Amino acid sequence: MSAQATDVTPAPSAKGALRRRLPGSLAWHLGSLAILAVILYPVIWVIGGSFKESGDIVGSLDLFPADPIISNYTGLADGIADISISTFFVNSLVLAVGSVIGIVASCSLTAYAFAKIRFAGRNLLFTLMIGTLLLPYHVLLIPQYVLFRNMDMINTYTPLLLGKYLATEAFFVFLMVQFMRNLPKELDEAARLDGCGHFRIYWSIVLPLCRPALITSAIFTFINAWNDFMGPLIYLNEPSKYTVSLGLKMFVDQEGLANYGGMIAMSLVALLPVLAFFLAFQRYLIDGMATSGLKG
Amino acid sequence: MQQGRNVERRTILKAAGASLAVAGLGATATACGGGSGSGDGTVTIRYSWWGAEDRAERINKTIALFEKKYPKIKVKTDFQPYTDFWKKFNTQASGGNPPDVFQNAIGFLRKYDAKNVLLDLSEQVKAGNLSMDGFRAGLEKFGEIDGKLLGVPVGSNSMALVIDKPVYTRAGVKPEQGWTWDDFDEAMTRIRDRTGRAGDSGMYGVMYLYDLYLRQNGKAFFTEDGLGFSETDLTAWWTKAEKGVKSGLFADPKKVAQIKPKSALSAELAGSEFTWDNFTVRYTSEGKSEYGLAPIPSTDGKRTGQYLGSLMLSGYKRTEHPKEVAQFIDFMVHDPEVAKIMGYDRGVPTTQVQYDAYRPTDPVNKAIAAYEQSLVDAGVLETITPHPNGADICEAAFLRIAEEMALGERSVQDAVKQFFTESKTALAG
Amino acid sequence: MGSAVTHAPAREDLDMDSEPRHGPVKSRRPADLKRRGRRENLAGYLFMSPWIAGFLLLTAGPMVASLYFAFTDYNLFDAPRWIGLDNFSEMFGDPRWRHSVQVTLWYVVVGTPIKLLAALGVALLLAQKRRGQAFYRAAFYAPSLIGASVSVAIVWKAIFSDDAVVDRTQRLFGIDVGGWTGDPDLIIYSLVALTVWQFGAPMVIFLAGLKQVPRELYEAADVDGASKLRQFWNITLPMISPVLFFNVLLETIHSFQIFSSAYIVGGGAGGNSCGPADGTMVYTCYLYVQGFENSRMGLASAMAWMLLVGVALVTAVLFWSQKRWVHYEEGVR
Repeated sequence: MSAQATDVTPAPSAKGALRRRLPGSLAWHLGSLAILAVILYPVIWVIGGSFKESGDIVGSLDLFPADPIISNYTGLADGIADISISTFFVNSLVLAVGSVIGIVASCSLTAYAFAKIRFAGRNLLFTLMIGTLLLPYHVLLIPQYVLFRNMDMINTYTPLLLGKYLATEAFFVFLMVQFMRNLPKELDEAARLDGCGHFRIYWSIVLPLCRPALITSAIFTFINAWNDFMGPLIYLNEPSKYTVSLGLKMFVDQEGLANYGGMIAMSLVALLPVLAFFLAFQRYLIDGMATSGLKG
Repeated sequence: MQQGRNVERRTILKAAGASLAVAGLGATATACGGGSGSGDGTVTIRYSWWGAEDRAERINKTIALFEKKYPKIKVKTDFQPYTDFWKKFNTQASGGNPPDVFQNAIGFLRKYDAKNVLLDLSEQVKAGNLSMDGFRAGLEKFGEIDGKLLGVPVGSNSMALVIDKPVYTRAGVKPEQGWTWDDFDEAMTRIRDRTGRAGDSGMYGVMYLYDLYLRQNGKAFFTEDGLGFSETDLTAWWTKAEKGVKSGLFADPKKVAQIKPKSALSAELAGSEFTWDNFTVRYTSEGKSEYGLAPIPSTDGKRTGQYLGSLMLSGYKRTEHPKEVAQFIDFMVHDPEVAKIMGYDRGVPTTQVQYDAYRPTDPVNKAIAAYEQSLVDAGVLETITPHPNGADICEAAFLRIAEEMALGERSVQDAVKQFFTESKTALAG
Repeated sequence: MGSAVTHAPAREDLDMDSEPRHGPVKSRRPADLKRRGRRENLAGYLFMSPWIAGFLLLTAGPMVASLYFAFTDYNLFDAPRWIGLDNFSEMFGDPRWRHSVQVTLWYVVVGTPIKLLAALGVALLLAQKRRGQAFYRAAFYAPSLIGASVSVAIVWKAIFSDDAVVDRTQRLFGIDVGGWTGDPDLIIYSLVALTVWQFGAPMVIFLAGLKQVPRELYEAADVDGASKLRQFWNITLPMISPVLFFNVLLETIHSFQIFSSAYIVGGGAGGNSCGPADGTMVYTCYLYVQGFENSRMGLASAMAWMLLVGVALVTAVLFWSQKRWVHYEEGVR
């Protein structure tokens, strides 16, 4: 209310300031909006395209069709290669949730050890951990594949999940270590004096305090697992076990341009969970991203 | 008892496999394909193929028929697109766990025979579980290598020139059996000039067509263990192609690349395309025009070099149920009901019984039957030697390098050299 | 846990707390210290056990195995056969391998700077305190989350193909290339555009860095009459140079490992190629083709090690160069 009141009857000096600031503000918003338009264009394009006839999608410059159709979406009910779309979604969901649980549990345990326990060899292990952060994944691709093949685990989810339960994603360990180191020392010291063992401190004090870092890791893990293409491409063989990413690729290969509309609609549907997560948790994601850079 | 031992052995192997791999020894773990038999004598076999949904529907119906006739055999199926299929198959075969029975093609016979993956079905023929009688046009020999029967043909197809009929009519071109490459070149020019469309989609990258051309000249793409032509041969073929691309006789390779996996023919970038005759079915559903089959041009006005190609069914060498696999294949190639269900989906049925059981009524399938009949009548069919190990990689390289040449990324000379280098590596492996 | 057992050490700890000035360590008897140290070690390794298992089983072990494979001929069917340096000589002599190196380097060298410049530019814009800042920040960040997905790659391919939006817009300016995705030399730029589109992630990091630059520095510069450009050059850039370094390092390493978008935009490695005339055959795609399509695990391992060496070299150069241009505040490092 009070802010409105000052707007209505501005003091002469404020009026001058406003006049001076307005062009800058306008330019700022115009600039931001222009970037926004470029950023959003592909997203709007795919939304509009999904309501167009297959033949009109690529060639047409209109973002939205004059007569929108929903058959691209209803057609998805037929599934891909005899497998219903929901199968792919359930598979992706199982993998993503499984990954989240693994990462949160294993990385927080590891991070706790690095941040709160003084044990022999800690610095060496920490250096190794940071080293794996920079290691290109592809060096491990083939030997891991051979390993899992020899263990008869190709075409199972184990190869895609095992690493998540063994804290191999150094980025999240690192993120959590940074967070834990910044927790007030007094809390866990007091707990130690009360006779709490490490596990108690980890479970009842550190974990609850680390919630923001855990949530950030969980969301990133979910999104990465959902988007992952190479892992499933290499390890999964049976279409009924395919994730959304692989299902989409199969869609492209099998129906390709014959059902362009269906392909576009399916692409959009595949993005929905990620977009939903983003809208719900964007603060955690962006803050997590920002801190990772600052403390590096 | 048997089960329990298997499980134990498997666990030990897994552990051993793990430690071996970690130690850096990728020793192939010996297979132990868990017992699939059960107390009442019911046997389960796994069957994999490549294809799309409509094929899956048909195949599932034929399997229902099979299971009705053989109630003690259960068939578990899965399928994928072509490239995914072979990737998966390779993984499973290398892990000692491929399907018991699977779709196969000529380019993979020697490859997987060399790797000890393919079951020699001749034993089962002797045992009376599989009959190799009643095949059309000598097709029973198609899957034989070195006296071993490694695959049984289920449907035949042949290379053809698939044409956009209205385009050919507008250009006033009427291809007939016995037409020559000169006639073909003239036709391409007429199509370009009269319809404004490229005549062909890019024949220079189709290995199977070049094979025919070589056969017309007494050579072949592959010998038993290598390439059957020289760098000079290929240089001539691709030099001609390069001119064709530049002068617009062949479709703009840039545009063709962008509409993949759709074909240039159904995308109306070209008036015709050399491919397998049963592809008209696909093009008809993909494109808006009407598609027909024209004969392969020849060098001497007679010999086209053609043979009947075929999809096959093969078994896994170490399957626990070779008898059931043989019975399954036998049923799929001889049962008339199967033919009625499958139609020409995998090509024209290979046995006379099945051929007679299904008479197509739609114009597209009728045309395919007529085309293959015309080949038999013209007496142009020859036999084919199974491709050497590594042929699949050569085929892919041929297509890719030809495309690079057409796009102007490589000179003809460079392209030829590159193809020979890559083939040498592939065929040595 | 018996309460009697936990009680005793607790009281000792309390004692320790009563004289914190002297430091807890000094007041302890050596035997206690040893016991405590052992217990800490045990707890440490217990907590670390998943990571240690993962490190040995999934990182260190496979690295050793991969190094071994690199010197063998290994097709998965037969046991690996030692062939010495043959894989490496084949690799260096293979024009396709050199082509994939070229494509990847080009992608990294063109894409990364543009992406970082965009990120920095937009971060500078957003750093001004205005209404809607949080909204823009979130919206600009969103592409970084979905950019790696198959969906976006499919959309990308469509947008850059013949007769589509980009092609038509270009034609308005009289440039007709007939679509980027069919052109062996242009298609890589559609991937560059895709990575630039995802400038949001480094932007967020820049933004956080910019917020930490003390206001007083600018105020003082204003008093001195320094221009905005000078201020940027003399204050902003040095102050955010650690963040800049972090972004350069991260983005470069990531760019080297591009796979799925190249694979999808290039139409899959189906038929053994990736993009028209291998236009999007980036390093990892070729590694995939050799390893998983041609079953040449030995050769692919050798390629993977070359990638590692390459990335390590680039990382080393970046770390070496940071001494010259990265300014850390006193006491931070």
